[in-house]
Amino acid sequence: MPSRFEKSLYDLIRGLRNHKGNEKEYIQNCLKECRSEIRSQDMDVKATALLKLVYLEMVGHDMSWASFHVLEVMASQKYHQKRVGYLAAVQSFRPDTDVLMMATNLLKKDLGASLPTVISLPIAALPHIVTPSLAMSLLGDLLPRLSHSHAAIRKKTVVTLYRLALVYPEALRAAWPKIKERLMDGDEDSSVTAAIVNVVCELGWRRPHDFLPLAPRLFELLVDGGNNWMAIKLIKLFATLTPLEPRLVRKLLPPLTNLIRTTPAMSLLYECINGIIQGGILGDGEDFSAREEIASLCVNKLRGMVSVNSDPNLKYVALLAFNRIVVTHPFLVAQQEDVILECIDSEDITIRIKALDLVQGMVGSDNLVSIVGRLMRQLKASSAALSEQKNGLESQDIETDSSDETSTDPRRRRKTQERAPPLPDDYTVDVIGRILRMCSQNNYANMVDFDWYIDVLTQLVRIAPPPRARDPDLDSSSTKLPSDISEKVGDEIRNVAVKVKAIRSAAVRAAELVISRMSSEISPSRPVVSGALKPVAWVVGEYAFQLSSADDALRHLLDLVPRIESPEVLATCLQAIMKLFACVAGDGQALWTAERKSSVSLLMARVIHVLEPYALHPYLEVQERAVEFVELLKLTAEAAAGQTASTDEVQQDPPLLLTQAIRSLFSGWELNSVAAGTQYNVPMPDDLDLDEPIHPNLDSLLAQADSLMLPALGEDEFEVYYNQKPPPTNMSSEPAINRLMDAPEEVSGSYQHAEESYLDPDIIARRKAERMERYRDDPFYIPDSTRSGGTSTPIHNILQKENGPDLDIDSIPIMQLDLEKLSLSGRATPTTAEKQQQQQQRPKSTPRQRIVVTADETLGGFGGSGSGRSTPRTMAYDSEHNNSADNLAAGRSSSSTGKAGAIKKLKQQQALLKVDSSNLNDLSLGDSDRPGAAGFDPERQQREEAEMAQALREVQRLRLEMQRANERIQVAQGVPVEGVPVVKKKKKKVKKETEEGGGGGEAAGGEEGSGSGVKPKVKKKKTAAASVAAGDGEGEGGGEPGVVKAKKKKVKKRVVQLDDDGGGDAPPV
Amino acid sequence: MINAFLVFNGQGQPRLTKFYTQLDTSIQQRLISEIFTLVSNRPPGSCNFLPLPPLLAASSTSNTSSSAQEQNDVPSLVTYRNYATLYFIIISTSTESPLALIDLIQVYVEALDRLFENVCELDLIFNFETLHATLGEMIVGGVVVETNLERIVAGVKAQGTVAKRPVNEGRTGGGIGSGLGAGLGMGGMVWHGR
Repeated sequence: MPSRFEKSLYDLIRGLRNHKGNEKEYIQNCLKECRSEIRSQDMDVKATALLKLVYLEMVGHDMSWASFHVLEVMASQKYHQKRVGYLAAVQSFRPDTDVLMMATNLLKKDLGASLPTVISLPIAALPHIVTPSLAMSLLGDLLPRLSHSHAAIRKKTVVTLYRLALVYPEALRAAWPKIKERLMDGDEDSSVTAAIVNVVCELGWRRPHDFLPLAPRLFELLVDGGNNWMAIKLIKLFATLTPLEPRLVRKLLPPLTNLIRTTPAMSLLYECINGIIQGGILGDGEDFSAREEIASLCVNKLRGMVSVNSDPNLKYVALLAFNRIVVTHPFLVAQQEDVILECIDSEDITIRIKALDLVQGMVGSDNLVSIVGRLMRQLKASSAALSEQKNGLESQDIETDSSDETSTDPRRRRKTQERAPPLPDDYTVDVIGRILRMCSQNNYANMVDFDWYIDVLTQLVRIAPPPRARDPDLDSSSTKLPSDISEKVGDEIRNVAVKVKAIRSAAVRAAELVISRMSSEISPSRPVVSGALKPVAWVVGEYAFQLSSADDALRHLLDLVPRIESPEVLATCLQAIMKLFACVAGDGQALWTAERKSSVSLLMARVIHVLEPYALHPYLEVQERAVEFVELLKLTAEAAAGQTASTDEVQQDPPLLLTQAIRSLFSGWELNSVAAGTQYNVPMPDDLDLDEPIHPNLDSLLAQADSLMLPALGEDEFEVYYNQKPPPTNMSSEPAINRLMDAPEEVSGSYQHAEESYLDPDIIARRKAERMERYRDDPFYIPDSTRSGGTSTPIHNILQKENGPDLDIDSIPIMQLDLEKLSLSGRATPTTAEKQQQQQQRPKSTPRQRIVVTADETLGGFGGSGSGRSTPRTMAYDSEHNNSADNLAAGRSSSSTGKAGAIKKLKQQQALLKVDSSNLNDLSLGDSDRPGAAGFDPERQQREEAEMAQALREVQRLRLEMQRANERIQVAQGVPVEGVPVVKKKKKKVKKETEEGGGGGEAAGGEEGSGSGVKPKVKKKKTAAASVAAGDGEGEGGGEPGVVKAKKKKVKKRVVQLDDDGGGDAPPV
Repeated sequence: MINAFLVFNGQGQPRLTKFYTQLDTSIQQRLISEIFTLVSNRPPGSCNFLPLPPLLAASSTSNTSSSAQEQNDVPSLVTYRNYATLYFIIISTSTESPLALIDLIQVYVEALDRLFENVCELDLIFNFETLHATLGEMIVGGVVVETNLERIVAGVKAQGTVAKRPVNEGRTGGGIGSGLGAGLGMGGMVWHGR
């Protein structure tokens, strides 16, 4: 009646456009209107309301509550209303929409309609909503549509049958002969043939064996099909067939080569090449010359696609193809290194990532530096752009390092921004991870210059984006927080320091630099978030004696500690502070002068001051360390105060506690890297009993402690710690055990000075200074003429001393040594690449010729000390794998449960949008006269019976449900029902009822519900199974005794009704 | 196969969503906004393929354990095309040909252009049933069933008359402007896949 006031979809959209700003309110109003309109008796109003809801669903407003009304509109007699209903079903039905079972009859009816447009509706909708039981009951109605007079119906039916088969594999067995017949029919409509080819292509990679017999016909279609879309699919299909039937290769090569040479369609050309790659046609075989030819043809075409000026889409697909070739023919890809490397610098991140995938596999010792250099330049430019942006916003200049790049001219600045916009953090993290992986591969097998690596790492610590806060929306199962990338960079610094003794001092100094930068750059109020601090602090502490200034390092760390939030980092830092203190103050040789006494006392006071607050830290590791160290330091401070300082007459030694006790805490064995997993192999001592209580009367001890507990402040902190969620932290980095590498490699050093533009100037300056220092005493090293004041070498000094000041040694002419030749002859057989490098090389200093990278220590039984590979967690180090290790485990377990026939939902979590076709694996499409087909039959029959029984139960359950719903609607008429809650309530109640009453009802239909691979919903199954178990009989009687008396009547009534139409057909909607 | 076909405009407002698997509305929206973020940050002259959005990437990496075969079931390719104010997105598995998908979007837009005669975003806003119908003629259940322009258009027309754009909305409304027809050329970007 009030139809005059309803909005049409047009009005809704116009309203939306006119209510910019307060759309939310408008939409809520519309939804409210729709809720009442959709209950209208007027079908037009109902359909319009539904259409509006579908529109709002698209914008993100749930309409699952309306699913019953969707069915009503689907059942409409008018086509345009029916169409809205079907559209709504497609868009809004979800796996848990249970009104679907009531639609079976409707779908059957529409499938049998006379109008092709009406038939199309259920055919097109079925793929979206199909369930195994629905597929089973509709298969019979769908099959005849394969021979419908309209080609449009036939082609859609083929596809729908395929989607049916995905959830109900038996459908394919029934449909396949007919589909095959269509495919073989030369007079069939071309669209239908193309659709069949598409479906076969989807099926093909699952079951290539079944489609081999079709090869002649498919070949025919390929040669004279004339349809490029279809040809692409055919080639893809053949690529899965050729591995099974090598003879196909010879047949395919001529037409494929012909297509490659002649086709104007780039997509077809690409798929030809791709097909040749994927079909293994590139592989070696008898007809060598022809293959050689095709291989070079393909690779050259691909090379053309990748090269600089080509279309970006071609670049992308060519890189995709290279990624496939590299698995089988790495040498073919290696030849294209130049063009592929160009792609790393592409503006387009998609292309970059694909190129990076490739490059990672191509890294060797000769190109590592240049590849990493490219990536570093990108990162540097991006971080510079980022900080520029920041500067622009905050109008304060923090960036001092890249002063050579940043120009004050705003126009230029804008230009640089345009050239290199900041990269997304995800990508930056990804690239840093890749750099680390490339460099550390196989225990640094490719690393030639560790100095350079240390510099890169130092730079990376600065570039690495801060760890992201955990997103509370994300459920932890699907997306694991990637562990902090800067911590991984720090880990690398630590690993190098531990494993490469020759370079340890440089690594330690890099760590020192990182820490001093952290303490000076980050404003005192801001917390330290960089995960790099933890490993770096460890390095500084452990190798304190190699620091350039342990004093400074200690000071920086003391400054940093109060700003650290993560307890793990804090624990490591406390330890490092103590180590540093031992190094700074614990010198046993120096005299205990008054000056030293006061400075040490001051230092101790300062350390105690910093550590003391942590004695109450809720994190036990921090607390324990803090308590220990504070107490120890207090003792030492007393001792130091008591020890009178030495005077000119009396020599006094420093207190032993300071020089002996504290120092000995940390100077035991040298720590080496231990292979991951080795810990598990440590044999348990025989006399260790883990069940034995530590203290015989622990309870009373704890009770005592409780009463002693300090009130107030401390407790709050504990409360916070134990009752709030712990911060996301990664415990993975115990010092040096998370590495797993190969046997030690001897690597020769080389330098490539051209690649330093990506390092901050201060890093370069430091490196140069260090190098100068190192080479100062090296007689083989001739310094730059600019810097050779000629006064630094000891020889020089000696000569000068010997000869007196009159002889100017610098004026003696020195013959230029041709070092290049020297080093060449010293080497075995340098490759051309090496030759090139040597052009830029400086002569090497003897100690750096052989860099030994220590391998991880393992326990016996694992193939010797060198090969840590055989330990159980081989991949544990590799950052990416490490990252996804848990995911992997989760994925594995969920897929196994999935295969065990479990919840559809779980599968969806596993891969969003994935259409699972694994069901088809168990299906054999062979001709019925195949041996084994007969043997298979009884089993199949049994399964079908089981499925049928299950479906029947399902139908009955839903019938019950619907009946109850109707009853309730009648009872509760007039109550203002708000869509969503009603559905929820209904569900709950219905479930309860089926649990109670199901015993009788469902047992009637049940024989055995298990054993089939396809189950719609586990929950329902469980109740069914439970009731079967409880009822354990075919009659109603078995189930009833368990039911409460009050409900008995109801149950009986329902059972009787069920028996009335025992056929199990769904009721009309 | 094709896992989803999406159309949204330059502000990320969806104009058509079609998922060939059942997916929660909220997850649909999140996926759309993730893709929109990716698509709107593309520098000019980049290719028509997107890196996997985080939602999809997460689920595909968790699958690395399974065989290469299983990978064929997982959506691994996001293809997009931009026409005037609209983005057309296809999410697909590796069994589809990337270049052919670009063509497929082109076919879809051309079909719309024929149906609406110089199609523009307004047509799509007000006739989203026709959008669905057109897509339904081309893709059923994630499998391409028709790529021939005439047949697609005929199929849609057989279902009833296509509504014209509301007269009073006109071309001036909201500055939608030049319409998609102008974007059809996309010089040099047209593959001859058909």
